[in-house]
Amino acid sequence: MASSLHSNHTQICPNPTALNGSSASDGKSQISKKPRLYADPPPLFTPSDIISEFSHHDPAVARINNGSFGCCPSLVLSAQNQLQLQWLRQPDNFYFNQLQPKIIQSRTIIKDIINADHVDEVSIVDNATTAAAIVLQQIDWGFAEGKFCRGDAAVMLHYAYGAVKKSVEAYVTRAGGYVIEVPLPFPVSSVDEIVKEFRQALRRGKENGRKVRLAVIDHVTSMPTVVIPVKELVTICREEGVDQVFVDAAHGIGCVDVDMKQIGADFYASNLHKWFFCPPSVAFLYCKKSTNNSDLHHPVVSHEYGNGLAIESSWIGTRDYSSYLVVPKVLEFINRFEGGIEGIKKRNHEYVVEMGQMLVKAWGTHLGCPPEMCSSMVMVGLPACLGISSDHDALELRSFLRDKFGVEVPIYYRPPKDGEEGGVVTGYARISYQVYNKVEDYYKFRDAINQLVDNAFTCASLPIS
Amino acid sequence: MASSLHSNNTQICPNPTALNGGSAADGNSQISKKPRLYADPPPLFTPSDIMSEFSHHDPAVARINNGSFGCCPSSVLSAQNQLQLQWLRQPDNFYFNQLQPKIIQSRTIIKDIINADHVDEVSIVDNATTAAAIVLQPIAWGFAEGKFCRGDAAVMLHYAYGAVKKSVEAYVTRAGGYVIEVPLPFPVSSADEIVKEFRQALRRGKQNGRKVRLAVIDHVTSMPTVVIPVKELVTICREEGVDQVFVDAAHGIGCVDVDMKQIGADFYTSNLHKWFFCPPSVAFLYCKKSTNNSDLHHPVVSHEYGNGLAIESAWIGTRDYSSYLVVPKVLEFINRFEGGIEGIKKRNHEYVVEMGQMLVKAWGTRLGCPPEMCSSMVMVGLPACLGISSDHDALELRTCLRDKFGVEVPIYYGPPKDGEEGGVVTGYARISYQVYNKVEDYYKFRDAINQLVDNAFTCASLPIS
Repeated sequence: MASSLHSNHTQICPNPTALNGSSASDGKSQISKKPRLYADPPPLFTPSDIISEFSHHDPAVARINNGSFGCCPSLVLSAQNQLQLQWLRQPDNFYFNQLQPKIIQSRTIIKDIINADHVDEVSIVDNATTAAAIVLQQIDWGFAEGKFCRGDAAVMLHYAYGAVKKSVEAYVTRAGGYVIEVPLPFPVSSVDEIVKEFRQALRRGKENGRKVRLAVIDHVTSMPTVVIPVKELVTICREEGVDQVFVDAAHGIGCVDVDMKQIGADFYASNLHKWFFCPPSVAFLYCKKSTNNSDLHHPVVSHEYGNGLAIESSWIGTRDYSSYLVVPKVLEFINRFEGGIEGIKKRNHEYVVEMGQMLVKAWGTHLGCPPEMCSSMVMVGLPACLGISSDHDALELRSFLRDKFGVEVPIYYRPPKDGEEGGVVTGYARISYQVYNKVEDYYKFRDAINQLVDNAFTCASLPIS
Repeated sequence: MASSLHSNNTQICPNPTALNGGSAADGNSQISKKPRLYADPPPLFTPSDIMSEFSHHDPAVARINNGSFGCCPSSVLSAQNQLQLQWLRQPDNFYFNQLQPKIIQSRTIIKDIINADHVDEVSIVDNATTAAAIVLQPIAWGFAEGKFCRGDAAVMLHYAYGAVKKSVEAYVTRAGGYVIEVPLPFPVSSADEIVKEFRQALRRGKQNGRKVRLAVIDHVTSMPTVVIPVKELVTICREEGVDQVFVDAAHGIGCVDVDMKQIGADFYTSNLHKWFFCPPSVAFLYCKKSTNNSDLHHPVVSHEYGNGLAIESAWIGTRDYSSYLVVPKVLEFINRFEGGIEGIKKRNHEYVVEMGQMLVKAWGTRLGCPPEMCSSMVMVGLPACLGISSDHDALELRTCLRDKFGVEVPIYYGPPKDGEEGGVVTGYARISYQVYNKVEDYYKFRDAINQLVDNAFTCASLPIS
C-alpha cells in the first residue's frame, strides 16, 4: 500500500529565459546560449522507487515500528556518505570552510518549515534527549544560583519519555525543585480529559506559593502514544503564570503539525531522524527569541561557549556532523512525494488508523485513543488472553514476536485499574506507518497474534530471562 | 618515508591441532577434518598497503596536521560502514542485541591497552571535550551543594585547550570556584621548568586556606605542543593534597605512553580518532575506581541515568554509535605494523623530530622544545621575517599555506617576551607525523616557506578579512 501518486505536477516550470538578453535571430547558436533557468522538478516517486529507497531494510521483518528509530532513504544515505568522505579527505578545509555554512543552511530550512521567526532560534543537536538536557540544565542553574526558590515546581506528564523523566530528576529534583506528574488516562477518549488533568496538576504546582518554573509537555507521547493538545496546554500555562514551557516533540516534524508561532512554546524540540527521513541522528531545538535565553548552553562546552546556543551546538568537539548537513537533500526527497511532508503526514495517519482498525477488528479489541488523537502511530489493544501482566511480559512478548514471527513492534503494559473485571486488555502494540510500509506488514502481525491465541499462548509460559 | 618494514613476523603461529582427536591414519579426509585452530596472522603492511589504506586523503595536500583531526584507514571505514548498515537494516534488533555487547568489547580492549584495573573504569564518549564536561560538572555541583567553599580552587595549564578552558569557566568559575592558570614557558628547555611553575601555582592555589579541588593537566598540550611530565605532576598533586586530578590527553593513546596505574590520575581522557586510527569520533574517559565517582554523570541524561557513567555513556539517545564499535577492527589494523602501536609511536616520534630538524635547519630557526619533550608533533619556528605578530596573522598565514601551497599545518603565535630583540621567532608551525606521511610533505612545506621568504612576504601584506 504505497502512497498513491498523481502524475500531474503541482509545480510550474517557467519558459526558458535568455540570460544574455540577445535577440532570437542567431538560430541554433542562440538557442544553445539560452540555458533553461529552471530545470523540470524531479518526478514523484513510484512505488517501485520507494521500495528501492528502502531496500536496505531487512525484508524478512514486518517493520511496523518507525516510531522508535525512524528510517533513512538510500539517496540521503549516499549524500551523507559524500559528506563524510569530504571530511575524511581534508578535514581542516571542511572545518574552516564548509561545516558552518552547511549547518546554517540546514537550520534555515528547518526555520522555514517550523515557522520560526529567526534562524537564531533554531539550534541543531543530536536528539531530543540532548535538547532536554539543554533546557533542564538552565533550570538547575536557576536553583543553584538562587534565581528560583527551593521547592519551586516543574510539571511533566506521567507519560513523559523515560529519558526526559530522568533528566528532570537529574537537573530539577537534584537541584531542589518539586516535580509534579500529570496523570493521564489511558485508554483516552477525548482531549478534554487531558486538559482537565493538566489544569489540576498546575493548580497543585502553585500551592503554597510555589512558582511553576517549567512545564514539560510531550507533543506526542511515546508509550502509550497519544497526541497531546499542546496549543491548548501552552495557553493554560500562560494563563497560570508558568515561567517557561518546553514541548518535547521527539515525534514532531513529519508526524504532527509543527508551527512554532501557533503552538507558542518557549522551547520546542523534535527529532528529524524519526519522521523526517534524516540519518541517525539529528534534531532541532527551537528557542523563542523573546524568552530569556541567555542562559542556554550546550552541556558539552567548546571554544564557542557564550556565542549563543545555535553556535555552541554547531561545534561540540571533533565528531561526525554529516547527519546535521543532509537536511537539504532530505527536503528534495520529501518533495518527490505528492503533497510533500504534509501529504506524507496525512497519508501515514490515514493508513495507520486503517491498519489499527483492521487489527482491533481481527482481535476483538480496541484502539487506545480515538483516531483524531493519534498521529502516524496508534496503540492497538492485544487480546487479553495473552496474559500480559507486567512490563517484563511486554518486553518478552516483543522479543518473541521479533525472533519467532519476524515482526518488530513495541508492546506497552497497561496495569488494570481498580474495579476492572478480568479479561480486560492490558497490552497494547504501538504500530507505526511510514512510506515504506505495506499492508502485508500488518497482516503478518495480525496472523502472528492470531496464531499465538490459537495456540493458547500466555506470557506466563515465556521463559524467565 | 613510510615506516620501514621487517619481513619476519614477530608473532608465533602454533602448529595446527586436531580438533577431533582422531588418528592420522585417515589420510586426506583426516587432514581435511583437522582445521587449523590458529590462522596465520595477517602480514605486516607494505608501503603500498599504507598508501592504499589512506587513498581517500586529498593527494594534493601535504597533510602534516594529523594532530587536529586524526585519520582513519579504509579498512576501518569499511567496518564502520558495515555497522551503520546493520543498524539501518534493523535498528531495534541492533539496539536490543548488538549495541551493548559491542560497546563492552571496545571498552575491554581499551582497558587492556591503558592498563586499567576494571572495565567499569572505562567509559566511551564522543571526544575529550565531552569528557571534560563530565569531569567538571560535579565540580559545579560541589560548589552549588555546599561540598566546596566558595573560592576553592581549580588549577589548569595556561596552554590548556580552548574548549577545556571554557568548560572550566562554565562549570567552575560560574559556580564560585577560583581558577589558577599555570604559566608555562615557551619555547621550553626542560621538564623541570614545567614542574617548577606547577608547584608555584599549586602553592598559590592553597593560599588563604583554599582547598584545591581539581587539577586539570594536559598530557600533551595542543598549541603550542609540548609533552607534560604528568606522572611527576600527579605526584606533586598528591603531596599537596589536591582533591582530584584530571589528565586531558586528547593527544594520548597512540601518541604518548598511556598507563593508568603509572600515571596515577583520578580521571584520564584520550581521543581515539586522533592517533588511534578510529573514525570521528570516539574517546575514552578513565575514572579510577578508588576515587569517589558516584557523582559522575553524562550530561545528556537517558533512561540509564544512575547506572554508572560507562552505562550512561553507552546510551545517550538515538545516534550513530558505529565509531564506538570499530575498536576491535582498529586493533587489527594497528597490529599489522611492526611493533604495533608502540612501534608506530616510536617511529612517528623519530620521524617528526627528523623532519622538524630538517626544517629548522633549512629556515635558520629552532624547535619549540627539546626532542625528548615532544611526541609525534613538534613546534617548528618560522622565519621571523614573515612578521607573524598576532593570532590573526597566524590563522591567515595558515589559510595562505592551504590555499596557495597545498600545505595543511596549524600556526601558533607566541608573543615576544619583554626584552626580546627584533628578529625573534614569533611564529611556530605544529607539524605532525603519522604513518601516511612522506618526506615530500615536509619538503613541500619547507619550499613554500622558502618561497614566501624569497618573495619578501610578510603577514602585514595579507588582506584584512
